[in-house]
Amino acid sequence: MRRLEVIRQLAAGWTDELVVATTGMTSRELFVARDRPENFYMCGSMGCALPLGLGLALAHPERKVVVLDGDGAALMSLGALALARHLKLPNLEHIILDNGAYASTGDQPTCSAAVDFADVGFQVRVIRVEPGNEPSTPRIPYDPLEMRERFERAVRRSA
Amino acid sequence: MRANPALASSVGLYQQFRQQGYNFFAGVPCSGLQAFIKDLQAASDLPFIPAPREDMALAMAAGAAMGGRKPLVYLQSSGLGHLVNPITSLLKPYGITVHLLISLRTQPFEHFEMRRVALPLLELLGYDDYTIVEERACDA
Repeated sequence: MRRLEVIRQLAAGWTDELVVATTGMTSRELFVARDRPENFYMCGSMGCALPLGLGLALAHPERKVVVLDGDGAALMSLGALALARHLKLPNLEHIILDNGAYASTGDQPTCSAAVDFADVGFQVRVIRVEPGNEPSTPRIPYDPLEMRERFERAVRRSA
Repeated sequence: MRANPALASSVGLYQQFRQQGYNFFAGVPCSGLQAFIKDLQAASDLPFIPAPREDMALAMAAGAAMGGRKPLVYLQSSGLGHLVNPITSLLKPYGITVHLLISLRTQPFEHFEMRRVALPLLELLGYDDYTIVEERACDA
């Protein structure tokens, strides 16, 4: 299945979940699929989506936090998966969209086939997706400061 | 908090930061921060977070900050380079504030170059929210 279609299906089921999306096309396709104040588009800092989600989940144990990650980003911070397993936060779900490729930069291969992410991390859901990106996916149009403030308001709203 | 004069020891620092309202701590240990980390481990109201690398600690702190916490990340100067990406692409563009507690190593030889570039690097990054502990007696 295409990554965008998988993201559409996941996002259709979200209510007040706080979602941290990894850098590159994953954030951009989430914006296209379903933009909402509860989404944090982490444009940059590849590999930091999971630890950012861990910090958020620790600060708000009453909120469900979903990390929407890619295989390349998860590999970059594999230690964060071990930390997630150490912390065992019940309110954090780690979804890894695994296409075996750095799709955002042109589908160069990753080494994700060598790793069982679910065995390293905690509450990991690996979803296989096709490599490649959708044509004409827009960049995140928000000012990063405004987007962060919008996200923080969403965090506080149901806190 | 803005950059402070370099301290000679981390004794009592944990209590000082708690008094200043810091309530989320993550990092990578340094022998120069043993007293600080020992006090942090002894705190019963906050989890001890053994971050595998400095950038992960900083990203956790960023998430905690967006969740309303006042976070601090502690590290040895040797790991400062790992913070360049999250400082430039996460903290600064999104306007997220995290205090850094940096143990500035001076010896032995593997620390010489970072000792030389650490403070200029922070200045180049435009990052002045940090405290330096220069622990000359540390041995690891």
